[in-house]
Amino acid sequence: MLKKKRAGSKNGKQSTFAKLSIFQPNKYKFKKSCPLSLKGAPEVDYKNIRLLKKYMSENGKILPSRITNVCQKKQRELSLSIKQARNLALI
Amino acid sequence: MNLYEHTIVARQDTSPSQITQLTEKYSKIVEKNDGEIVQIENWGLINLAYEIKKNRKGTYIHFKIKGNGQLVKDLESNEIIDKNLLRYMTIRVKKFDLKNNYFTKSEEFEKKENDRRY
Repeated sequence: MLKKKRAGSKNGKQSTFAKLSIFQPNKYKFKKSCPLSLKGAPEVDYKNIRLLKKYMSENGKILPSRITNVCQKKQRELSLSIKQARNLALI
Repeated sequence: MNLYEHTIVARQDTSPSQITQLTEKYSKIVEKNDGEIVQIENWGLINLAYEIKKNRKGTYIHFKIKGNGQLVKDLESNEIIDKNLLRYMTIRVKKFDLKNNYFTKSEEFEKKENDRRY
């Protein structure tokens, strides 16, 4: 848990997920469910740049799943499609 | 028969007539190999994320193709020697996603708005 907090505050201003900080209410800190396996969640695809950018840092690195709470299966899909989009110079 | 998504990136200074020529050329190759083109999308001129061969922009053409593996081999062997192209990529998919168009103009506008918000 400590680790999670630190990683969140370190990334700070950079991405949307890093808004998790110690000062926010509890419901954000303990949010555990994967945002991509919910009902009605968008499908991971290399063409959907808007979605992929949410799971990347400002410098174009893939964010680890312990920060974004993405489940293992979706994280694999994400990393594959991010790499495909990089090859086409979309990201 | 497999389903493929095939994307090619043309150089920034290709004229529109050249681009129609390119699409015709590669759709002919598909037809020659008993393939079937389900959809062709022209994404237009898009800023590249990084420079490729001193190009800052590229024209993207996206094919959705039904065919066998030999077709892909033939396509790619033709594309690798094409001087007008910067990149190509083929991906096998289980089913086509014909609903979503991620590269229409209105989407781009929304994207910019969202970026500002963050």
